[in-house]
Amino acid sequence: MQYMILIYEPETAFQGETGANRLTDIVAKHMALAGDLRAKGVMQGGSGLQGVETATTVASQGGKQTVHDGPFAETREHLGGYYLIDVPDLDGALAIAKRVPVVDGGKVEVRPLMVR
Amino acid sequence: MPRWAEAISAARPKVVAALAARLRDLDLAEDAFADATAAALTAWPLQPPRDPAAWLWRAAFRRAIDARRRAATRERAVFDPAEPAPTPEEVLMAADEPIPDERLRLIFVCCHPAIALDARAALTLKVVCGLSTERLARAFLTTESAMLQRITRAKRKIREAGVPFEVPAREAWPERLEAVLATLEIAYAQAYEDAALVGDAAGFAREVLRLSAILAELASDEPEVLGLAALVRFAEARRPARLDDAGAMVPPDQQDVALWRRDIIEEGARLLDRAANLRRTGPRQVMATIHAAHLSRAEGRPTPWRDIAALYDVLLQMRPGVVTAVNRAVAVGEAIGADAGLQALMEAEAPPDWLPYQAARAGLCAKAGRTAEAAAALKAALALDPAPAERLFLKRRLAALQ
Repeated sequence: MQYMILIYEPETAFQGETGANRLTDIVAKHMALAGDLRAKGVMQGGSGLQGVETATTVASQGGKQTVHDGPFAETREHLGGYYLIDVPDLDGALAIAKRVPVVDGGKVEVRPLMVR
Repeated sequence: MPRWAEAISAARPKVVAALAARLRDLDLAEDAFADATAAALTAWPLQPPRDPAAWLWRAAFRRAIDARRRAATRERAVFDPAEPAPTPEEVLMAADEPIPDERLRLIFVCCHPAIALDARAALTLKVVCGLSTERLARAFLTTESAMLQRITRAKRKIREAGVPFEVPAREAWPERLEAVLATLEIAYAQAYEDAALVGDAAGFAREVLRLSAILAELASDEPEVLGLAALVRFAEARRPARLDDAGAMVPPDQQDVALWRRDIIEEGARLLDRAANLRRTGPRQVMATIHAAHLSRAEGRPTPWRDIAALYDVLLQMRPGVVTAVNRAVAVGEAIGADAGLQALMEAEAPPDWLPYQAARAGLCAKAGRTAEAAAALKAALALDPAPAERLFLKRRLAALQ
C-alpha cells in the first residue's frame, strides 16, 4: 500500500541562527533516512517544502476563485515536507513515520493513498 | 430452535475471527456469518449438522468469496482488479481446513493504536463477542446511532488505512499490549455488571476468560497480562454467589463462600503467583490481589480489610481516580472506622450523581449511626437507575434503616 507521510513542524523552530543550524542538522537526517528507504525500495518520492512565507493559496467559493498570499490556514505548525512510501500495511508505514526526524513539537501524519 | 441459537452463538467468535483473518475485512466477515446463520436455521432442522461451527465456517466462507467476486465484477469497469479472486479449488481447500483460531489476531486489529480509543472496546465486543449495537450503546451510555457510527468509522479506518491483520511482532508487544488489556478490562467490566448474566453477557464473560487465558499463555513473561487473567477469574469465581434467591445483589463480604467456584479461584491464584514471580507490579496485579483478599474468606478467615485498604492505597498511586478512591473509602471504613471512611470518601471528590458514590456513602453513614443521612444517600442511589439486582439490595437496606 502507498502512504503519504506529512511532516508538520512549528515554523519558528527554523528561524534565526540556531534555527538555521537545526535545519542543517535535520536535513542531514532526512537524507540518511531517504537513502535507506531508497535502498530498501520503499521510497516512492518526497521532498522538503520551502518556508510557509513562499506559500500562495487559491480559494474557490461560490463559483469564484481568488488567489492570495500565505498558507490556507494560520496554524502554529505548517506542512514542511512529505515522504511517499510503499509498504505492506499501516504498521510498516508507522514504523517509518517514527523514524522521520522532527524538531520538538513536530508531528507526522500518515495517510493512505486512494489508489491501491 | 433455541438449541440451534445456542450452537450458533457459541460458534460465532471463532468463526467470525477466522473469516476476518482470512478475508481481511470485518464487515464482510460479519455479513457472511449472518448469511450463513440464516441458511443454517433453514437447513439444520431438516438435517442437523455434525459440527455446527464447521458447517457455519464453510457456508460463511463460500458466501464471502461469492460476495467478493460479485463486487469485483461490478467494480472492474471502474477500477483495476485489486487482487485475483481465489479459484474454486482454493475455496474448497480453505473450507476443508479445521477452523483456525484467529481470535487473538482479531483483538489486536480491533485494539490497534490507530483506532480511536473510545471505539476499541466496543468494536472488540461487537466483532469478537458478537454483541449487538443496541447492547453496546446501553453499555457505553450512548445512543444506538452514535454507537453504530463509532463502529462503522473504526471498521472503515481498519479497511482503508491498511491496519494489518496480524498479531504484532514480539518487540512491539509492550506498546500494543496495554490497549488490548484495557479493552479486555472494559469488556469484562460489562460482563461483570450484569450479575444475573442474562442475555449476551454470559457469552462475553466466557469469551474474556478464554481470551485472557490465550494472552497469558502467549505473553507469559508480562505480569500485567497474568494479573488481568487472574483478576477476571477471581471475579468470575464469585458469580454464583452474587445474587440471593430473591434476585438481590449480595456484597462479597456477605456472600455464601460455599457457592464460590474453587476451581476458578485456584486457576487465578496460579496466574497471580506467576505474575508475582516476575517482580514487576502493576494496577491489574494489585486489583487481582484485592480480589484474592476478599476470597480468603473461603478459608474460614474474616475479610482482611486492613490489607485491602493498604492495597487500595497502592492502587490509588498507580491508577488515581474516583473509582479507586471510592472503593478505598469503603475499605478504610471497614479497616479503621466509619469516620475515617467518610473522610476518605470526601477526599475522593466523586460526583454526587454517581451511583457507587451514593451507595458507599449510605454504607458509611449507616455504620457511623447517621441514619437520616444514610437513608438520604440510599434514596439518591435509587434515583440513579440502578440495575434490578442492585435496586432490590438498596431498597432492602433502606427498609432496614426505617
